[in-house]
Amino acid sequence: MKSYLLASLTVLLACCYIGTAFAADSDAGEMEMLVFPEKYKAMAVSNGGTISGVVKFEGDMPEKKALEITKDEKVCGADEKFDESLVVGEGNALKNTIVYLIDISAGKDFDKDAKVEIDQKGCKFTPHIQIVPVGERLTMLNSDKIMHNVHIFSKINKPVNKAQPKARRKMPLKAVQKAEGPVEVKCDVHGWMSAWISYVPHPYFAVTNEKGEFMLEDVPAGEYKLGYWHEACGTNSKAPVVVTVEAGGTITQDFTLKLK
Amino acid sequence: MRIRTVALLLTLFGMFVVLSLIYAQNAPEASEKGKEVYENSCAHCHGTEGRGDGAAAENLLPKPRDFTRGLYKIRSTETGELPTDQDLFDIITEGMPGSSMPGWETALSANDRWEVVAYIKTFYDGFKEAETPPKQINLSGKVPYSEQSVETGKALYTELGCIECHGNIGRGDGTSAPDLTDEWGFQSWPANLTQGWNFRGGADTEDIFKRFIGGLAGSAMPAFEGDSFPGFGLTAEESSRMIELDNKDEMTEVEEEESAQLYEKYDAAVDIALNLAEGTELSAEEKQIYDDAMKVVYEKSWHLANYVKSLMPEKRPEPAIGNNVLRSQYIQGELPEMDNTAWETLEARYFPLVGQIVIEPRQFNPTIDAVNVKSYYNDTEVAFLFMWDDRTHTTDETDDETGKTLEDALAVQFPVKVPQGPTAPKPYFLWGGRLPVYLWHWKASAPEQVTELTAKGINNAEVQEAQGELQVQGTYTDGQYKLWVKRALKTDDKKDLQLDPGVFVPIAFSAWDGANGDVDTKRVMTSWYTFVLEPVPSSKRFIYPPLIALLSVGFLFGLRAFVQRRNSEEA
Ligand SMILES: [Cu+2]
Repeated sequence: MKSYLLASLTVLLACCYIGTAFAADSDAGEMEMLVFPEKYKAMAVSNGGTISGVVKFEGDMPEKKALEITKDEKVCGADEKFDESLVVGEGNALKNTIVYLIDISAGKDFDKDAKVEIDQKGCKFTPHIQIVPVGERLTMLNSDKIMHNVHIFSKINKPVNKAQPKARRKMPLKAVQKAEGPVEVKCDVHGWMSAWISYVPHPYFAVTNEKGEFMLEDVPAGEYKLGYWHEACGTNSKAPVVVTVEAGGTITQDFTLKLK
Repeated sequence: MRIRTVALLLTLFGMFVVLSLIYAQNAPEASEKGKEVYENSCAHCHGTEGRGDGAAAENLLPKPRDFTRGLYKIRSTETGELPTDQDLFDIITEGMPGSSMPGWETALSANDRWEVVAYIKTFYDGFKEAETPPKQINLSGKVPYSEQSVETGKALYTELGCIECHGNIGRGDGTSAPDLTDEWGFQSWPANLTQGWNFRGGADTEDIFKRFIGGLAGSAMPAFEGDSFPGFGLTAEESSRMIELDNKDEMTEVEEEESAQLYEKYDAAVDIALNLAEGTELSAEEKQIYDDAMKVVYEKSWHLANYVKSLMPEKRPEPAIGNNVLRSQYIQGELPEMDNTAWETLEARYFPLVGQIVIEPRQFNPTIDAVNVKSYYNDTEVAFLFMWDDRTHTTDETDDETGKTLEDALAVQFPVKVPQGPTAPKPYFLWGGRLPVYLWHWKASAPEQVTELTAKGINNAEVQEAQGELQVQGTYTDGQYKLWVKRALKTDDKKDLQLDPGVFVPIAFSAWDGANGDVDTKRVMTSWYTFVLEPVPSSKRFIYPPLIALLSVGFLFGLRAFVQRRNSEEA
């Protein structure tokens, strides 16, 4: 036993010695986050306005990156899968962009009937971007009948790494109490699986569809900062667009995003 | 009266001692002292600000813990909870086997270690903000080790998906193993469950149980907390029935109804568990359902822990020194082939491997623990069986940094000339120097051959012109390589090793794990060990001595008779 200790100590000292030659580089690029209001009050909204628009991608049409399926091929490899960090459709439509109100302090309540779920099907998370109200449970579905593990890389809330064995078809997760996001969801069993969730304090969040469209409804009349977040294109948190919503009115605000 | 007082005092004192033993200690308030000890002993790896980015961190894997996130792998607490002070103290005291974190039991006083605990807690505000002590994992329902428990645990090992990362029989060779990373994006290999001595937090059944229930925060190892179990809230029978129904291709109407009912019960129990976790007060009835569900889950977890325990030897094998040197056993006739059961009767000798850190490029983060060796010989040949665990089977991968081809390999090293006697000089252990070494170099891409090399240094090896007739077989199964080599005891080549029974021969090993970036000098290795063809405990030993004795006696009698006769003749 002593010899192991001695050996490991020697190794340690040697590494420490050699290690001094290197400088540690720890300033990895921080992920840009959503911005939330300090307080939010839910109330009935009548005759609210609508903000809608289209998000487009500026730049060369990115090539579709096929994901390498390294295991469980029967279930995971049934159809080809592509990296979803940048999905650009016809007419440069940019999918999976979150568009939201940064500074709203009072407005409608969450739709209590909306299902907050992410399915694991064909070893892919669907949807890729999910909005989770603070205090609500996110339910992880497992349509695959193989094992996944739900690994949520939260920093403000407690990170989650919970096994979802093959027989576990539906796994609701404990509700969180702090707004945070987006945080990545991964499955360690299938390293290519990736999704993003945002724990949000108010319901004025939309995610763009294939056509790049979004819509925020029942917005009380007023002036708001309109923000966006995209996995590959970043945010406009530092210089958000200011929009004025009139009672019962509809305004259009489009965005054109570039790779960050 | 007086006696009573003494008795009372003694009892009180006894209670105090017992209580202080039961209640794990808490760290003192953070102080200057703790900072000083930390900066002297810990900061070099963990960084002055506790970010795990000290000067030495670059070369270490697993990386030194980043204390600013409050994520600790080795805890006695439930998932999502912070560790207890005692958990932190224990890690500092005992270190983390299989990583670069040494135990500080002798280097730091207990007092200093407590000061460090207090200080590292200041790196993460969550410790200060926590209103209640972390929830500890309940260890009270331990299921004793038994064959039956191991069997049950084995079934769970498959059902719960442990195989995905830890592999069929636990060697850490699951299909997901190569792709795992930790919270910081660094490669993170799943534990080889057959090598308990490398478990970071110890390999007692309780330790295994805690890791399983609580997960290893910050790593890919998830927590199997209560409601992760399929059929939470059901009895063991009900949950197996639920899974059985799930696996049917088609259910009858009655079965569908049955399945739906089981799921309803299951969902209800999960809901209760989540309510509790979210801080909702449970009714007495709900509490009962939850407790019953947890009892079943905990019992299953103990079975699983017992199974994992069954995969490893009781303790780390002793290295092949002293009484354990590698002794090749003599047998008559053909030497056993690789698959012959004759190998099973031999006990393997254990040669621990360490990273090569003398010459650049170095290996600071070895993934191969040791090579295990057995050997037989007969009158003309010797056969070896080498076995080593490697989580991945790598034959042709390209190193991103150097562009070199990475593959798994093993080299067995002998001196060209056997030193005469124990004090005679041996070649330098790093593939020789002034004195050359003779090597068998085996590569996973060509498992049926070894190349004979002669080397005068780690970067000075030559393929021998005359390749001898070696018979070789290599396989990779369930995370383990097996290599079988047979060679003549004597060869015509002067650069080869020549073997004689009873002569102690230095032997050493190098191994490469391609998936770990091992190539050239970046490898794991041993220094010199000893190998001997165990002299034949042969019939000769038992026949000659008595025979010689008999002959001598006979000779003496003969001599006496001769002398007597001559004397009488002379007379
Ligand atoms: Cu998965």
